[in-house]
Amino acid sequence: MADRVLKVNAFTTFDLLEGRVEGHGFAEEAFATLNVRTARENPESVSLELELDNVELDSVPAHADRVTLSAAEARELAAELEGAAKRIEATEEDDP
Amino acid sequence: MPSKVERWKDETYGMEIRDHLERFAEEGFDAIPEDEHDAWFERFKWWGLYHQRKGQESYFMMRIGTPMGRMTPAQLRTVGEVAREYATGPVDNPEFGHAYADFTTRQSIQLHWIKIEDIPDIFDELESAGLSTIQACGDSWRNIVGSPVAGRDADELVDVWPIVEELHDRFKGNDLYTNLPRKWKVAVTGDRRGAGQGDINDLAFEPAVKEIDGDDVAGFNVNVGGGLARKEPRLARSIDVFCRPENAAEVAAGLSGLFRDHGDREDRFNARMKFLVDEWGTEKIRSVLQEEYVDYELPTAGQGLREEYDYNAGRSDAPGDYVGVHDQADGQHFVGLSVLVGRMAAEDVIELADLAEEYDSEMIGLTQRQNVIVGDIADDDLDDFLAESVLEDYSPDPHPFMRGSIACTGTEYCSLSIVETKNRMVRYARWLKENVPVPEGVSDFHIHLSGCTASCAQPQIADISLRGMKTRKDGEAVEAFDVGLGGGLGENPQFADWVEMRVPADEIPGYIANLLEVYEANREGQESFREFVADRDEDELTGLAEPEETSYEDPYLGNTKMTWYPYAEDEEMSASPAPTNASGEPIPTDD
Repeated sequence: MADRVLKVNAFTTFDLLEGRVEGHGFAEEAFATLNVRTARENPESVSLELELDNVELDSVPAHADRVTLSAAEARELAAELEGAAKRIEATEEDDP
Repeated sequence: MPSKVERWKDETYGMEIRDHLERFAEEGFDAIPEDEHDAWFERFKWWGLYHQRKGQESYFMMRIGTPMGRMTPAQLRTVGEVAREYATGPVDNPEFGHAYADFTTRQSIQLHWIKIEDIPDIFDELESAGLSTIQACGDSWRNIVGSPVAGRDADELVDVWPIVEELHDRFKGNDLYTNLPRKWKVAVTGDRRGAGQGDINDLAFEPAVKEIDGDDVAGFNVNVGGGLARKEPRLARSIDVFCRPENAAEVAAGLSGLFRDHGDREDRFNARMKFLVDEWGTEKIRSVLQEEYVDYELPTAGQGLREEYDYNAGRSDAPGDYVGVHDQADGQHFVGLSVLVGRMAAEDVIELADLAEEYDSEMIGLTQRQNVIVGDIADDDLDDFLAESVLEDYSPDPHPFMRGSIACTGTEYCSLSIVETKNRMVRYARWLKENVPVPEGVSDFHIHLSGCTASCAQPQIADISLRGMKTRKDGEAVEAFDVGLGGGLGENPQFADWVEMRVPADEIPGYIANLLEVYEANREGQESFREFVADRDEDELTGLAEPEETSYEDPYLGNTKMTWYPYAEDEEMSASPAPTNASGEPIPTDD
């Protein structure tokens, strides 16, 4: 089994999420880490990094995925997440 | 563009930081402007001070660098006295009490709960004993590691102590090497044990013999670019250079100058020597060193002694540490004492220092396995020394599970860690001792426990590597570990294979018990655990043993990083007294 690709420490955004990898003819679930990262100095973009625990996966090799977001894109994502979170909370309030 | 840290370093760095420290000590913690905390805390590292984690604001960890872990008993006493007086916090540690010192894997000493207001007095006490915190952290020459018993060890090729003293004197506080792109870790080994663990250092001098003009010359082969950090651990690589002892300082100056001038200052993640070696290759490192940094023709590498190395080597025919009674070249003995997870109560530090003095010892040594050595015990005194009561707690003949355990600082103080480490490792070791039969022939079994993917407990070079993670158990998030197996140094250094992920912390002892049962039942002859692992492929290692709940109880299973101090009665972040003033009283804040 390969070592983790992403480092994990107290500054990692989420060190314990439930993830799923899906492709043509395969689908597997695994714990995952998700991290929002900007360069420590002079950041120009936001990295969103995701890694599923490779020990639980047979269909893909050990790896992490990363997308790069501009400040505007990061804000747009944050707004969508915020909206989605509100919808969940509203459901919970309606149906406690 | 240079990084932010580089800009802070340009403004104020190195020796001058001391003046500012003294000023803040005079004016109090709250005189450090809040919007300058990051910059100042980064700079303070150069003087061996790390600001403790969230919830412990205004408290510092202080690191005292002792070259090769070597001290006199009087210096050890000073460490104990400083710890007793100043390293005390608002809450005691349930395993270690009120004041203690940590011995680190780089042969330094760490004290916690240090107040900035006390720093001038502490510096005075340390410096009057010939100790210093200078460059114990930060982007410069770190504490030089090697065997503390150099010059005493009956089993050595070169006495490296004079060389290390020369390197320490020349490169600490030297403006030319004050500000490197990143930390610079050096190991100097002259013994046949490989006790410097040079493979995991930026620069390693490894013992070697070279025939020059018909004479066999004892000196060093030079390796560069080792290190454990991040997902890309590297073993130091040979640059095909033999170095006479008298040239060690020039070669070291050359290589650290080369790193200063060519290391990456744009991206701190890429700034270590190992990445420069990756980028350039060893031949280019050698040729640039030769052409631009040294004034004599570098000989090619000599014959090394690596096949003899046994330090942390996982061999079945030799212990992998300095614990126990060993012969010195002068007929006396040095005695290695096991310090579980490297932490020793301040009172015990003082007692050991007094004892060493009483027995006319002139040398105390801290090892990279977080243990302590007392040198110069006369043959006639040995039995008396071994019968001293302090050796009941710090044994020269400990149980194998107590002997081999290393742990980093963890969530108790560290900003990076995501799990509790030292107290847990103590509890693991005790449980293993009580409940798990030691496989026949095993005298030391190395378990290294690190709180995150940084590598302060050197998790990649242990029989069993534990690295902090989280998992879900019965619906709750709990502290957990990734597990690696079969790492170690020696003749064929090897990093651990990672075989399990997110094993709940309370199931680790059961996992180890099951694993050792499998080992005992299936090993061939006297095969060591490390050899047993090396004989198996990845698929076989994963699932070799099952994690399991046992009678072991883990009081730290919840999320200790969210507490202000994991052992406080009210551990909630909001219950923290920090930041506090010089007397430990909360400093009022505006909000």
